[in-house]
Amino acid sequence: MAGRRVLKAVLIDLSGTLHIEDTAVPGAQDALNRLRQASVAVKFVTNTTKESKRILLERLQRLNFDLQEKEIFTSLSAARSLLEQKEHRPLLLVDDSALEDFTGIDTSEPNAVVVGLAPDHFNYKALNKAFRMILDGAPLIAIHKARYYKRKDGLALGPGPFVTGLEYATDCKAIVVGKPEKTFFTQALSDLGCSPSEAVMIGDDARDDVGGAQNAGMLGILVKTGKYREGDENKISPPPHLTCDSFPDAVEHILKNLL
Amino acid sequence: MVDMSWPGCAKSLKGVILDMCGVLYDSGDGDGVAIPGSIEAVRKLKSSDLQLRFCTNETQATREKFVAKLGRLGFDISVSEVFSPAPAAIAVLKERGLRPHLLVYDGVLPEFDSVDKANPNCVVIGDAAEKFSYQNLNEAFRVLVGLDKPVLFSLGQGRYYKETDGLKLDVGVYMKALEYACDLKAEVIGKPSPMFFQSVLTDMGLQPHEALMIGDDLVNDVGGAQNCGMKGVQVRTGKYRLSDENHPTVTADGTVDNLAQAVDVILNQRGH
Repeated sequence: MAGRRVLKAVLIDLSGTLHIEDTAVPGAQDALNRLRQASVAVKFVTNTTKESKRILLERLQRLNFDLQEKEIFTSLSAARSLLEQKEHRPLLLVDDSALEDFTGIDTSEPNAVVVGLAPDHFNYKALNKAFRMILDGAPLIAIHKARYYKRKDGLALGPGPFVTGLEYATDCKAIVVGKPEKTFFTQALSDLGCSPSEAVMIGDDARDDVGGAQNAGMLGILVKTGKYREGDENKISPPPHLTCDSFPDAVEHILKNLL
Repeated sequence: MVDMSWPGCAKSLKGVILDMCGVLYDSGDGDGVAIPGSIEAVRKLKSSDLQLRFCTNETQATREKFVAKLGRLGFDISVSEVFSPAPAAIAVLKERGLRPHLLVYDGVLPEFDSVDKANPNCVVIGDAAEKFSYQNLNEAFRVLVGLDKPVLFSLGQGRYYKETDGLKLDVGVYMKALEYACDLKAEVIGKPSPMFFQSVLTDMGLQPHEALMIGDDLVNDVGGAQNCGMKGVQVRTGKYRLSDENHPTVTADGTVDNLAQAVDVILNQRGH
């Protein structure tokens, strides 16, 4: 067989792939343990605008998953990396629960705007402040551009509409840092010392997980749990490297065929 | 042969439509100030054989309040002569049997008193300023996503405007936010929408070529009117900029110093 890849890292989505709300996907903990016994690095990647790495870690540990905080890379981590790299001082329009992931970042005299999901901050006054800063040249950084999300009391607006509004007001384009952006995946891999061609991504979102990863040069495996809907694998081109029932099947495939 | 160019076209005109802010008056502290000659120009048009209407994108006050302000400045204008986005929206709602969920400034709410708002099947947003909270925008969003065929009306589509304490986000920003959230295209009511100009023409019972629009906004007043088949003349008052006279896409049929000059030219052509 020609051109067999050397697999060095597996990126794993959280919600919808390892667990659905407070229930683990059957067999997922054991599958993760089997994967860890192979000589491959593992990282957990997710788009979140509200939950800090600590909150995510606590939830997964409650569900008996074996992982460490430093193995988690989120869209908030990606925003932080960008701020550090460019030495920006942000105005953070993010939920208070996400602030701890920005500990140590200088926010005095802000010269950049970071938009997460922050219902408490999406009022006319705060948006006007952000708008005037962007008009004066501050970059607009979006954690991601989701249109809406599901809350207990129904659907609610995500950060995307507010980012889009600010883009229209200022005639600029936001820098999006979460999945499915290419830089999100390359940043997640950077401290593992491997290139995208040496990594595979497992997730339940055809466009954001699989399409994004494959676009960055990785392999993508789509699992039929979480938000997966019949036919999702046909919505991206090229199609997923593999579509399978759930996370344990994805791990089996990796152990058998990719290592 | 009928002269179709400005100012010769004035001979065959049957009606004139005037923009308000920047043509009649300049906004500022309190009621603002009348532009010199404009009060007299409106009086002259009214005593001529031309029909006269006023057309504004103002959505923070009812027409009654707005006309009362102009009255204090010295203008003789009645509410029935003024076309603003809110009443235009109401006409559309009634015609299409739509019941709106409203996200508008409190000052303009009384305009919608006569409209059935129970069990809404569309959303109308205007420049709601401080009322553009996450909560209120989310309510509008939920109405839209709950509909089989979501319909969003936006009273204008401005990006921002200037107030004494700085720049403020305008309704267009929130229109774009809801468009993105619901994956739909809003219907814009107000200038430069052709439907808005058409409603003024219908009220006068005139064809587009029989009417002339005079405004200070090259794109929204002049360009909008021209897209409807009307003539459009720009005044060098209000938001007029010298660069408007070399605009890449819109060329006014005529440019005059102010409303007073425009009216004198029109009435001269007609042999008054």
